[in-house]
Amino acid sequence: MARVKGGPASHQRKKRVREQAEGYVGSRRATFVHAKQTVIRAGVYAFRDRKVRKRDFRSLWIVRINAAVRAAGMSYSQFMKGLKTAGVELDRKILADLAVNEPKAFSKIIVKAKEGLAKAA
Amino acid sequence: MRKTFSARKEDFTDADKKWRIVDASGVVLGKLAVRVANVLRGKDKPTFTEHIDVGDHVIVINAAKVKITGDKLNSKIYYHHTGYVGHLRSAKASEMMAKHPERVVEKAVFGMLPGNKMRAQYLKKLKVYPAAEHTHTAQQAEKMEI
Repeated sequence: MARVKGGPASHQRKKRVREQAEGYVGSRRATFVHAKQTVIRAGVYAFRDRKVRKRDFRSLWIVRINAAVRAAGMSYSQFMKGLKTAGVELDRKILADLAVNEPKAFSKIIVKAKEGLAKAA
Repeated sequence: MRKTFSARKEDFTDADKKWRIVDASGVVLGKLAVRVANVLRGKDKPTFTEHIDVGDHVIVINAAKVKITGDKLNSKIYYHHTGYVGHLRSAKASEMMAKHPERVVEKAVFGMLPGNKMRAQYLKKLKVYPAAEHTHTAQQAEKMEI
């Protein structure tokens, strides 16, 4: 049987890693060993940060809702409690968006929350 | 709705930012610094975005009359190093208040801002004056209570 040499195969294997390492700095792009390590680590970060992103956004929405609500003399926690007792089920993402893009609608929600808070007390 | 709002630099230029004025007389230093830092960052606005400066400008007047609680006028020490060997300088809070009251407020606000690249940018919008006079009458600053 004819002898099979490994050159083209290993070149192909390394090519995939090199393509993923495009744009990396220094030897992380140039050397296969470093590129491979960095590509693996990049995957680890990407996997983790797809989950972290959800928390990051939630905390951003909370900051924004808090800002909008404090302008009406309420705190975030009171507002959320008021909404719960008033039976408003909008989530933080929508509330934050309304606070930015639909201030009029948001002020109506604040009224609802205040009613809910009064009912709970 | 697909995407969360994110402020863009072009939409929040200097012309879009308001000016606020705070009278520091009788206000506790730390409470003043937190409020000012949050306004500079724009955390009082629903458009708050971490990497874009959306906050207002702040003028602090009467910095010399700010309240420092406890024994801190005597016990709090401000250090700075001149860069020369053996030249770490220090000044008590009471000395700082007598000589450079505006620096006391600036340093307090500096400490209340997050230590990232935005900090220098935020501090550019802070103007502190020891007395009631200031040079920003043209900006028609809005009064802010602490």
